[in-house]
Amino acid sequence: MSLPGTPTTSPTPMDEDTEQAVSVNTEPKRVKVYILENNEWKDTGTGFCIGEVDEGKFAYLVVSDEDSPTETLLKSKLEGNIEYQRQEETLIVWKDLGGKDIALSFEESMGCDTLCEFIVHVQRNIESNISLVTVKSSDNGLGSVHDIITGPVTLPSNDQQQNSQTLLEALKILNENTSFDFLKNETIEFILQSNYIDTLISHFHKAEEEKIPKDLFLLSNIIKTLILYNKRDILESMVEDDRIMGIVGILEYDTEYPTSKANHRKYLGSKGPNFKEVIPLENEDLKIIMKKCFRLQFLKDVVLVRFLDDHNFNLISEIVMDLETCIIDFLQVGTFLDRLIELYDTKTLPESSSEKEKFVQKRKDGIRLLQQCVQMSINLDAVDRSKFYKTLVRKGLFKVLDYAFHMETDSNVRILATDTIITIIEHDILLIHNVQNEDSFKRQHKSAPDDKSSHRKYPQDYSSSTDSKLLLILSTILLSDRSPGLREQVVQALNTLLHPEGCVGNGEGSYDLMGRSNYEAKNTSEDFPSFSYGLNSDSINLNNYHYSSDEMNNLEPESESEFQVMEYFANFYNKIAPILFGPLIKKDITTEMAEIDGQIEKVTKDDLLLIHLVKLVSFVCTEHDRVLSRRFILENGILDSVSKLIGGNHMMQLRLTAVRCIKNLMCLDDKYYHRYMISKNLYAPVFKLFQENIDKNNLANSCIQDFFRIIITECRAYQSDGHNRKEKTNGSYDGNGNDVKTNVNNNRTNFTILNKYLVQTYGDVLRKATDIPFIQDMLETGEENQPDHSSFENSIEGGNDISVNMSTDGFASNHLEDIDIKNVKRLHSEIEHFENDPHYSGDQLAFKKSVDQMNAST
Amino acid sequence: MMDLDKIIASLRDGKHIPEETVFRLCLNSQELLMNEGNVTQVDTPVTICGDIHGQLHDLLTLFEKSGGVEKTRYIFLGDFVDRGFYSLESFLLLLCYKLRYPDRITLIRGNHETRQITKVYGFYDEVVRKYGNSNVWRYCCEVFDYLSLGAIINNSIFCVHGGLSPDMTTVDEIRTIDRKQEVPHEGAMCDLLWSDPEDVDTWSLSPRGAGFLFGKREVDQFLEKNNVELIARAHQLVMEGYKEMFDGGLVTVWSAPNYCYRCGNVAAVLKIDDDLNREYTIFEAVQAQNEVGNAIIPTKKSQMDYFL
Repeated sequence: MSLPGTPTTSPTPMDEDTEQAVSVNTEPKRVKVYILENNEWKDTGTGFCIGEVDEGKFAYLVVSDEDSPTETLLKSKLEGNIEYQRQEETLIVWKDLGGKDIALSFEESMGCDTLCEFIVHVQRNIESNISLVTVKSSDNGLGSVHDIITGPVTLPSNDQQQNSQTLLEALKILNENTSFDFLKNETIEFILQSNYIDTLISHFHKAEEEKIPKDLFLLSNIIKTLILYNKRDILESMVEDDRIMGIVGILEYDTEYPTSKANHRKYLGSKGPNFKEVIPLENEDLKIIMKKCFRLQFLKDVVLVRFLDDHNFNLISEIVMDLETCIIDFLQVGTFLDRLIELYDTKTLPESSSEKEKFVQKRKDGIRLLQQCVQMSINLDAVDRSKFYKTLVRKGLFKVLDYAFHMETDSNVRILATDTIITIIEHDILLIHNVQNEDSFKRQHKSAPDDKSSHRKYPQDYSSSTDSKLLLILSTILLSDRSPGLREQVVQALNTLLHPEGCVGNGEGSYDLMGRSNYEAKNTSEDFPSFSYGLNSDSINLNNYHYSSDEMNNLEPESESEFQVMEYFANFYNKIAPILFGPLIKKDITTEMAEIDGQIEKVTKDDLLLIHLVKLVSFVCTEHDRVLSRRFILENGILDSVSKLIGGNHMMQLRLTAVRCIKNLMCLDDKYYHRYMISKNLYAPVFKLFQENIDKNNLANSCIQDFFRIIITECRAYQSDGHNRKEKTNGSYDGNGNDVKTNVNNNRTNFTILNKYLVQTYGDVLRKATDIPFIQDMLETGEENQPDHSSFENSIEGGNDISVNMSTDGFASNHLEDIDIKNVKRLHSEIEHFENDPHYSGDQLAFKKSVDQMNAST
Repeated sequence: MMDLDKIIASLRDGKHIPEETVFRLCLNSQELLMNEGNVTQVDTPVTICGDIHGQLHDLLTLFEKSGGVEKTRYIFLGDFVDRGFYSLESFLLLLCYKLRYPDRITLIRGNHETRQITKVYGFYDEVVRKYGNSNVWRYCCEVFDYLSLGAIINNSIFCVHGGLSPDMTTVDEIRTIDRKQEVPHEGAMCDLLWSDPEDVDTWSLSPRGAGFLFGKREVDQFLEKNNVELIARAHQLVMEGYKEMFDGGLVTVWSAPNYCYRCGNVAAVLKIDDDLNREYTIFEAVQAQNEVGNAIIPTKKSQMDYFL
């Protein structure tokens, strides 16, 4: 045993594989033996080399002459601190204790391997001070790379009596040992097999008691160095029950802040291990995993936050993720979730008021717990996530949400419930719906096992199913709850639920149901442009989708899931949208909405709500099937309301949001919207707002300049289009900053018409701003171009009365009501004419009819 | 009306601000910010500050070393949040100063003032940690959308977070952007926040994956076309705190000392006087203190109650 304070050099633990692989003597291998004499390598003969062990104590490399096997060319003892060098593949070179340089050149690299294994065996079992290193020329051909294969390893002293000297030495050794994998691995082995960390912790308590700052800082640096070894087992052993307090205690000291100390132990002592158990956990293993998980996160996020490098950070995150996967798995096996969800069975309410209060609190905590579990699941593998969410839905997650949205009054708790829902639907929009369907599918199959088409029968059932219920709940919350945070979340949930890309592209669930799916199960959330945060480093990853309505129009609902998606949206426009957009729907139409009518007066004054609604209008117009959404928007006069908001006595944020909505609709370059907005004079408030801000350098001014810039850019593109098709429009953006796809044939003319109309109607306003170059352009372009104008009407409208009105009299306002009615009628007939379209399939007709039917029933 | 001075005192001490208060702060800031142009006019004398990155205590040092907002006019070139552990407090403190002294402080948007970036680089996590939900992050992101994209001092010095854009080469053109949106992945608005000056002959691809690299030629053209003499920007760590390039036509100012609590750099602010003379003030990271003057170690707050 070495003296305290000196590093120990110990033979490393026996390696059983090596032990068995190398028997006493090795197979003979053919070699040439060289000896260095007068700086020249001299060939002393060719023979067969074996590694030989005598009496289990003495090891030799022996070469016998190939011509006369009894003659020994070389017998060299492995002893002392000889360093054997393996150079490239076939050479072993060393200097023996007598100072003689010897080289063995093997015929085959396999032979060299065998003898190297022998040297390793001898180092581990007999002569611990010899070593074997490899020398290879480096990749660039200059210099060479050394690596240690085996040899003596200097390890820190594990003596119970530590002091500044031993600690300093240990720190030095631990740092040096990171330079070679061999040394590093041996050190890791030592740390895991010995009680070294406990030795450190016990000295820490002593040093803290005796106030020896030097030792405290050394200990902290040693622990940090051990963490940099980046070994899972070491990290896990540090967070075990009997070590964690010692470890975070040591890490409270930091040489960077020599005059202060963190208070991690205090924090952990008061909070960490005492988890709130809403539902008592029965499984002790699970408790251990949870503690470990929490402590590792605490290390990563708090204790070591300024210290960890990327490798450490990733390793800890990885371990945490494994543990989380484990926890989520555990939660699903027992009765834990059942007991949790039982809390929300209404019949189980206790009678006494104090008990009741406790119980209500418990329900709040239960929702927090659920949210935390769902949050934890975010990092899991997609399959595990789906499995967990399905389990939750099957066990009755909706009972909990129903409670949160209908009974719970605390906005903070409702926010967590919404967050839970968002996490699930962003993972897979159809998951909830599919689990529900699967249940009713099973039920139906029980009653009518032979009816193969039974799932065909319940679109009706589906339409009133959980999705719609969810949409309805969310819409109602948005309209009635004034908590701004909750509203933001609800809007995010609505955006997700109403995103056609997500619904169409995610047939994963229907695969379960019908055993087939036309779509690859996509990794959901990354596919949504508005929620794609998949960034790495400081670079941006372009992930723009543009949903084209034409695609949707021509899409034949081949699969069940597509059919359901179309049903789903039809149902949205019939049942949900009238409520959701209620505050933007003209009064005379909304009288039917008796149930929320009382709220309308209130909410129309609520500018913050209106901002959300106007953004949703932009969203549905841009993203949804054009025919479906446009019909709803125009029939309900939504754009009229939006336009009014621009001019009204509202906060500027809302007024500009409304301008952007009009701008987005204009960018859709949809001739019906174009016509509608012109005929109803919806641009007037934009010009009024512009006039208010004409000399100001502010956001309103920029917002409207952008508006004009889009129009003139489109017009210019049209003008040059005649000569040169390749010119690309720039500067037209939808709400997400995506380039708006434009239809080459009529879009330019739409914009030319618009520009002409604007110049004719609002030229006086525009002429005040001619210092802006493109406004000058607008004026010039708008005042020429007569022929294009008329030909546009003839070609598009075929002499339709509305557009003739538009162009001839410049939309005198007394004609507006008249035009309105015609316009709405026109939109009805527009859908009908598709029946003659050969692309319009039978399925789509069925769909359209169901839409009409539902429409009639509203 | 809110008691701004009280909120400011709490923020300086790193104390928790109720969600409701943050919401009102954010809403009031929106109103103020939307009255500013995409490129807002600022008068001399003014002190230009670079990236802050949630290093609240260093931000306090910055104010201390450069005169304080009561006496000095400031422009902050963006990147208030992410990386450091006090993104929220740093950003809210600047908003409070803005509300309290509207003419003394101008805030410009940096490439970190976006939903996407803050989700990855710390601000989002910080808010969830501090509040248990992300609402406050959402409120702040809404404010980000209203921040100006640049500033111009006495019609002579153009300030921006990142750099120039090949799509819009005049200040007037920049005024035509409707800036109230998440920073797009390309186009002028993106470039202004992401580009970097580099020794290149012409517009080149940026290794950041967004924005461009631009050289002396582009800078000279911009200066001449817009009749300005200097471009002041931030966006890149400079160990010495600031770095002038292209014969003094451009300067990078960096105001987060010991960036990420480990880079070992010093920080700088640039004071421009009425004659447009430049004066740099260098400062180092100092040990953070709590409200009673005791030293504290900057760290993240641990997560909220652990329920399982």
